[in-house]
Amino acid sequence: MRNIFGKSRGLRKSILRGTAAFVLLTLLFGVLLPPDAGFFGAVNADAAGDEIVLRVCNWEEYIDLGGWEEDEVIDLESGDIIGENSLVEDFEAWFEENYGKKVRVEYSTFGTNEDLYNMLTIGDVYDLVCPSEYMIMKLMAEDRVQPLSEGFFDQENELNYYTNGVSPYIRSIFETHEQNGVSWDKCAAGFMWGVTGFVYNPEVVSEEEASTWKLMENRDFYRQITVKDNVRDTYFAAVGALKSELLTSEDFVSDPDYAMRLQDEMNDTSQEMIDRAQDYLQGIKDNLYSFETDSGKADMITGKVVANYQWSGDAVYTMDQAEEDDYYLNFAVPEESTNIYFDGWVMLKAGISEDPRKQEAAEAFINFLSRPDNAIRNMYYIGYTSTISGGEDGRILEYLDWCYGAEEDEEDTVEYPVGYFFGGDPEDEDYVITVPEEQLHRQLLAQYPSGDVIRRASIMVYFDQDESEVINRMWIRVRCFNIKNVPLAVWIVLLLLVIAGVILYLRHRRMKEQNY
Amino acid sequence: MKFSRKTLGIPYIIFLLIFVVAPLIVLFYYAFTNGQGQFTLKNLTGFFTDPNTVGTLVYSLAIALVTTVVCLLIAYPVAYILATSGLKQKGVIIMIFVLPMWINFSLRITALKEILTVIEGNLAFYPFLNSVIGMTYDFLPFMILPIYNTIVKLDGSLTEAARDLGANERSAFFKITLPLSVPGIVSGISMVFLPAMTNYVVLDMLYNSTYIMGSLIGSYFSAYNWHGGSMIALVLLAIICVFTLMTNGLEKEDARTGGALL
Repeated sequence: MRNIFGKSRGLRKSILRGTAAFVLLTLLFGVLLPPDAGFFGAVNADAAGDEIVLRVCNWEEYIDLGGWEEDEVIDLESGDIIGENSLVEDFEAWFEENYGKKVRVEYSTFGTNEDLYNMLTIGDVYDLVCPSEYMIMKLMAEDRVQPLSEGFFDQENELNYYTNGVSPYIRSIFETHEQNGVSWDKCAAGFMWGVTGFVYNPEVVSEEEASTWKLMENRDFYRQITVKDNVRDTYFAAVGALKSELLTSEDFVSDPDYAMRLQDEMNDTSQEMIDRAQDYLQGIKDNLYSFETDSGKADMITGKVVANYQWSGDAVYTMDQAEEDDYYLNFAVPEESTNIYFDGWVMLKAGISEDPRKQEAAEAFINFLSRPDNAIRNMYYIGYTSTISGGEDGRILEYLDWCYGAEEDEEDTVEYPVGYFFGGDPEDEDYVITVPEEQLHRQLLAQYPSGDVIRRASIMVYFDQDESEVINRMWIRVRCFNIKNVPLAVWIVLLLLVIAGVILYLRHRRMKEQNY
Repeated sequence: MKFSRKTLGIPYIIFLLIFVVAPLIVLFYYAFTNGQGQFTLKNLTGFFTDPNTVGTLVYSLAIALVTTVVCLLIAYPVAYILATSGLKQKGVIIMIFVLPMWINFSLRITALKEILTVIEGNLAFYPFLNSVIGMTYDFLPFMILPIYNTIVKLDGSLTEAARDLGANERSAFFKITLPLSVPGIVSGISMVFLPAMTNYVVLDMLYNSTYIMGSLIGSYFSAYNWHGGSMIALVLLAIICVFTLMTNGLEKEDARTGGALL
């Protein structure tokens, strides 16, 4: 570089000036502008033409991409369901057909809620995103979410598959939870939901052992259990384990305010609880195989670990995959409490920017994914459970029966009521399926948890700035190597090594000097 | 304006500005500000007073140090033998060592994971050892190549002269070949040591649940603490700078002796 600019000062100057301006501009855009203004200002690229551009950001592998083989057809009695094209393409065609407008979906994906949040902070602009409930709460708290239009809730419109088909159970949760005085259902439409629990190898771990968060501290499975590498999930599990006695006590369970008290206990973020959780997690760290981000499924299938803390959707996938190798895994939900989670669609103000055409397309996208056959395609493809129960449309229940229902001549079957999800009434006899008994511990339990499990399900709300700072610091402390743990001997050896290094270096230099 | 050699430099200057200078400025900005955008040194003092962050630094240094030493111990003999032997298929053998680099890194580590599981049974019992093995596997070619290149370009007449003057094989090696190959060693070390401090993917994949510098930065970012994360990145940068200055010093001394860098 020195040579290139050695002589021509004029050129050098002008380049310097130009680049200085460039850097300044970059900085202006990158740092000084409000975060949601985008790197080069939110340029509305879709201003031209009558094509609506819908920018959707979803979890990775969280939508059916089509391309199914012939033998993958879901042959329900009411008709076959098969994924030929990606749902995104199907949506574009469907939208044009029903709304008479062209839409182009720019589909992108994110890896974690935090990644999505950071992407939004850096200035990526999306119209429709699908984060988890706590991130939805955070976005709502920061006033970034565009409320759903009234038309979206119009049950007369038959294209409104979401409001006509969402499970009464999910609907009631969304209606009864608020953020900044606004109930969730005004801003968010559920996509997938599930609970957390343990996938385990029934030949090694008993159901009883797997049905408590204390499995993580069980010395019988020393270094054979993996746990999610995620502060929220591990904190929830730690709280569950630490409060195990209280949460499973007769008094507590039969309390009339059980559901509310349970949610309070599981969302305990007092300093004392955080400190105890830290001690607990530091303690079990040694007992665990590892904290994992996504290797847990594979390790379970290959038998490296005997139990794995898992989200129900991934649990279904794990059990399915293992079954293909004739290896049977079970699922258990801890007795103390389980974390019920949602991923839902929210529109972002920064993206929609009050463009009614865009909002219409975004809401149509949600509705299209909520059409029962599309919900089934997604469920089949990703293993998670759709929030859609279908309403009048019976195909979701039919699909459930298609997946898990017992053969007619099968023995050892049980009745499995799923009324809470499909009808709103747990006792409703219209929504009972007959399943092989083993399914009570397998995919069915994970995909459509029993009423018992739902009773002890607790939502984990989002931590505000201060809480999350303390909890994140706790988590870093759990994961970091504490310098105070270094034994003195290691320090001495290290010191000797450094001294040796310095001596060698000096000797090397002296030798050089002698040579010349 | 006349087209000259200087004009050729413009794309590189722009590249440097966009991908090196600008991110650095942003990094500095975040490292020395707090959430409200005010100047603060708290991120810096916070780093050095927290036993966990300092512990992570030490742990990373330990992993990087052991990895580098192991790499060097394996790479030097290989490079030396290859460079000095009369083998005709030298290129093929070098290729065998470089070959893994052509395969995707996470695939390689996944394969290594399976192999280690067969050998060790339960990987979770040896997290430190596994991390070092994984890193060594990953970085070995970066150590072999520069050393090989240096030794292969050494003037053979120097060793011959040493032998003529009565040095035995051993002292010819220690007095001539080894000192002359220092530049290769130095550049090998800097290509192994620095990445080894931050390559947390290897640790993740081999189930080492302890954070090193890379994962620590990541954890700060996923907690939206860009300021603390940037400061850690900056501390790393400072370490790298000091390291590079030191090694540069070494290299300059040896420059006259004709050492070659990769």
